[in-house]
Amino acid sequence: MAAVTYLELLKLGGSEVLLVLAGLVVLLVDLAVMRDEPRQNRMLLAGAISAVGCFAAGLWALQDGITGRAFAGMLVIDRASQLVKVVLLMMTAATVALSVQGRFTRHVGEYFSLLLFSTVGMMLMVSTENILLLFVALEIASLSLYILTAFNEENPQADEAALKYFLFGGVAAAFLLFGLSVLYGLTGSLDLREIGAVLGQRGVDAGVAVAVVLVLVGFGFKVAAVPFHLWAPDAYVGAPTPVAALVASGSKVAAFFLLGKVLSTGFAEVAGSAAWHGVLSGWAPVLAVMACFSLLLGNLAAIAQKRLKRLLAYSAVGHAGYMLVGAMALAGATDRGRALAMVVFYAATYGFTTIGAFGVAAAMERAGESDRIDGFAGLSSRAPVMSFCLMIFLLSLAGIPPLVGFAGKFFLFGSALAAGPGLGLVWLVGFAIAMSAVALFYYLGVLKQAYVVPAGERAGTLTVQVSVILTLAVLTAVVLLLGLYPGLLLDPLTRALAVGM
Amino acid sequence: MIEKLASLLVLVPVLPLLAAAAIAVTKRPHRQRASTLAIGAMGLSCLIAVSAFLAIAGAPEERLVRNFDWLHIGNTTIQLGWMLDPLSAAMAAMVSFVGLLIFIFSKGYMAHDENYTRFFGFLALFGAAMLGLVIANSLLLLFICWELVGLASYLLIGFWFHKPEAAAAAKKAFITTRVGDMGLLLGMVWLHAATGTLTFYTEGGEGCLQAGALDSLGAAGLTARLIAPATLIALLLFCGAAGKSGQVPLHVWLPDAMEGPTPVSALIHAATMVAAGVFLMARVFPLLEVGAAMHGESHSVVTPALTVITWVGAFTALFAAFIAVAQNDIKRILAYSTVSQLGYMFLGLGAGGVAVGMFHLLTHAFFKALLFLGAGSVIHGCHEEQDIRYMGGVRRWMPVTFATYAVGMMALSGVPLFFSGFWSKDEILHAAHGWPVSHIPFLMGSLGAVLTAFYMTRQVCYVFFGPQRSREGADHGKAAHPHESPRVMTMPLVILATFAVGLGIFGTPAWPWAQSFLEGEHAHLAFGHLFSGEVLAVMGTSLVCVAFGIGAGWWFYGRQPISSAARPDALEERFTPVFVALKNRLYVDELYEATVIRFNALAARFFDVVDRWILGGAVAVIGYLVVGFAWIGRFLEDHGVNAGFDLGCRGIRRGAGAGAALQDGRVHNYLRALGIGFATLLLLMTWGCH
Repeated sequence: MAAVTYLELLKLGGSEVLLVLAGLVVLLVDLAVMRDEPRQNRMLLAGAISAVGCFAAGLWALQDGITGRAFAGMLVIDRASQLVKVVLLMMTAATVALSVQGRFTRHVGEYFSLLLFSTVGMMLMVSTENILLLFVALEIASLSLYILTAFNEENPQADEAALKYFLFGGVAAAFLLFGLSVLYGLTGSLDLREIGAVLGQRGVDAGVAVAVVLVLVGFGFKVAAVPFHLWAPDAYVGAPTPVAALVASGSKVAAFFLLGKVLSTGFAEVAGSAAWHGVLSGWAPVLAVMACFSLLLGNLAAIAQKRLKRLLAYSAVGHAGYMLVGAMALAGATDRGRALAMVVFYAATYGFTTIGAFGVAAAMERAGESDRIDGFAGLSSRAPVMSFCLMIFLLSLAGIPPLVGFAGKFFLFGSALAAGPGLGLVWLVGFAIAMSAVALFYYLGVLKQAYVVPAGERAGTLTVQVSVILTLAVLTAVVLLLGLYPGLLLDPLTRALAVGM
Repeated sequence: MIEKLASLLVLVPVLPLLAAAAIAVTKRPHRQRASTLAIGAMGLSCLIAVSAFLAIAGAPEERLVRNFDWLHIGNTTIQLGWMLDPLSAAMAAMVSFVGLLIFIFSKGYMAHDENYTRFFGFLALFGAAMLGLVIANSLLLLFICWELVGLASYLLIGFWFHKPEAAAAAKKAFITTRVGDMGLLLGMVWLHAATGTLTFYTEGGEGCLQAGALDSLGAAGLTARLIAPATLIALLLFCGAAGKSGQVPLHVWLPDAMEGPTPVSALIHAATMVAAGVFLMARVFPLLEVGAAMHGESHSVVTPALTVITWVGAFTALFAAFIAVAQNDIKRILAYSTVSQLGYMFLGLGAGGVAVGMFHLLTHAFFKALLFLGAGSVIHGCHEEQDIRYMGGVRRWMPVTFATYAVGMMALSGVPLFFSGFWSKDEILHAAHGWPVSHIPFLMGSLGAVLTAFYMTRQVCYVFFGPQRSREGADHGKAAHPHESPRVMTMPLVILATFAVGLGIFGTPAWPWAQSFLEGEHAHLAFGHLFSGEVLAVMGTSLVCVAFGIGAGWWFYGRQPISSAARPDALEERFTPVFVALKNRLYVDELYEATVIRFNALAARFFDVVDRWILGGAVAVIGYLVVGFAWIGRFLEDHGVNAGFDLGCRGIRRGAGAGAALQDGRVHNYLRALGIGFATLLLLMTWGCH
């Protein structure tokens, strides 16, 4: 391993450095200069600095020629990681935009700097192949999000939700750490590639099984897959809505990218098989069970929900199920890079869409309404633009063409079917498709309120913040555009991952 | 310079098209704006076309093409494009110039029409399509424009659609030409199948009129062991040309088309659109020449396709000239004359090549437009009277119209030396005389020339000489005198008359500039040619023909002034049965009525019965069956499927409640679930372990 100079290191981690700097500047400026200003101005300035930080970091990540692998895979920078970082930064920027006109906190500087720090954690997650740094990055992201969840001063449940999130997350992190240490004990290496090589020789035995399941529990918590999803509904409802959006989008993209990397690099040889006739021991059947239950529980429980954020929380569990189905393709696919690209594409587009849906919830709360679904009655006349955006988001989440949700599901299922052996995963894909039909039911329930049920008598026109409506419009455009030309994102991802793998 | 003009040439059709689009959204009261737009666009087009013409006049061997890809279908790319060569330049200049004059004339002629705006919109559309047609470098683009001029013609013939005759004439024109267009379409498809392209010329030589494609076409085997594909394609294309150019047996629509406003007759049904058939044949002439056998020292090219064209042209020239003799409507006489002259053009094209036919086309465009506009002026002056028996003596009140009309009449009749018609018709007769296949077309053409001079003399005598014979009757003393038309109408007449005379200079045997230009060569001055034996003989023949025709016409109609409209025609008195037959247009319409149309009606009735009772009955039976099945299906649906579905939905809702109930909000239960989940998954993983 060639030594890496500090300059090169700075170059490789430039995006992260820029974002940390931006976080510190936000903190400093807010503390030193803006202390006595009205909250609105503080929010605006901090938001602006954060957005600039995201933008700068994104530009840095988009540069050509920054690739490298340093410190036994601790820092692995390639085209794919840079691309995913740009997606993450866009999501953070959208979250920032949704936050700036909010009224949920007085701790402006802390709020925005924590947003940025959690993003840094996510970015580190996507640029490491070392299990130690993997854990650290995961914890940076998670801890920031625990704190952010408690920021909602308007909601008395926020503290409780944050504590539950923290407790659950802490235990899950313990599982993960335990799994990683078993892994280190078994293989004597922290580098995923070397671990993969050793595991390949070793095969699946009891020790490996324990390690794999422990690691999967940790990731199952991060992506909110059944039965490790229980924190999600409480956290989504309790957290400030933009934070919930970030938890559902950026955090998920980073976690799935990292999970895909772990599965296809470290655990490649202990995949086993989840094919109907020929289940082989390995992570594939475990993942298949998690996927199945996530699909079933997420989609069914969403039907019973009365509030949009809680509905979105269960829908997030369901979507985690779809993405796990896609991740199954990593077990048997000949082209793992392509299979991972499909998962990341789905996670990214799902993230953009769900941020939009959370944005609508945020706008409703900000306008003095709640996110109760029956409060959406007559939204199409009260806020036509926003309700159009909501329609696009929800239909995309349900997977209606020509929106991006359809394209994502189509590619995901296609890749799962194509991953062998034979059409072994047909049972799982068929189940996922059936569950997306169920999902249509609750998404359309919301739209029925917005478009069919007339508004209550006292309901007037809703005022929606400029920043929110602009963000929603941009996200709607993204959903439409990527739905019509999925190649805009999918092609670069596929190319980058094909090189990386 | 010439390169730039070739690129600019596309503006020639595009400008009128834009004008048409702008007029389409102009409100009816904005009359001035509409006519200004149309005339302005046409003026600019004319400017560009004439510049291009002048540019290429110095370099007639040039052919500049501008192609672009229009469609990609699989591996096939369809190109469209335009070109600048002598043929397209001459046509574009002629069409835009004559068009411009007629647009200006229309400003006066249509001044009192309430749909003035619409009229100019249609005119501009026509101008765009016609100019697109002449510069097209692709049979497909040519066909598109071809159909567009057909549409414009339909709209303009039926411009006064509240008159039943006009509406019927428009329909007749559309349907009759469509019969020919069917052939054109088939020929086009076949040509594409045979050569793989419809582009005429490309710089790489892959066009369908270039050596490569023509050689492969010539080498192709006989279709059905009888006839070469090149001949068949050429004949199919000629069907379209015959329909558009009113050749027998598809000529019937053209005389009826005179129901349209007179400027329309002048522009579309005399000068430009009806000549499009001749132009098409000239454009695809290399295709007509495929498999040609050269005959001795004469330069004629003989192929089966050209032979057919020659015969059809000669027959039409004579046939229509006969009918023209016995017509009384001033415009109908000119219409049959147009049919006859188009026959001459085909005769010249078939027997003598592109230049011969096209030169007559160009000269004819000017003098026939002149005659029609003159007729329009007369009609306008005589208060919308069209029957020559009710005119008489108009020359006294309309001197400018009379003078210009006389020029046109002499040009059409082919009065020697000073009139363009003489030289171009002489050229055709010369070619027919040298045609190696048969001499009969020459004789038919000469007889046609006699008749042409005769019927034109008859018309002029009726209209311009003798006493006034208006319908109200001069004896009541109330009849309004005809009046001369305004300047905006007479000015175009004078200009056209100038060209009707002057164009002849460019096509004499001594200095055949126009012919050489159209053949892509430079001309040389050689007076000797004028006095070579054959030329003199043919010129002499045509001189005799013209003299005889005019003399006879004067003898019958001019010698004694025609005093009364009720008096039978001088010829009718002597040859009653023949004259009546001619007057009834040789019963061609009646023949079609009795055969084609009756057959069509019978077939329609037959298929109506088939459709109504046999097919309809079958459909009804199937329909009842389907309804029966639907009843059964509905029963099953109501009591089987729906009940099951409701059951399923209820199950899902109950499941939803159960799923949501898992979330009891106690964090120690959550953590318990986490542990149980871990244990279960671990069991699952180790289950298959060895």
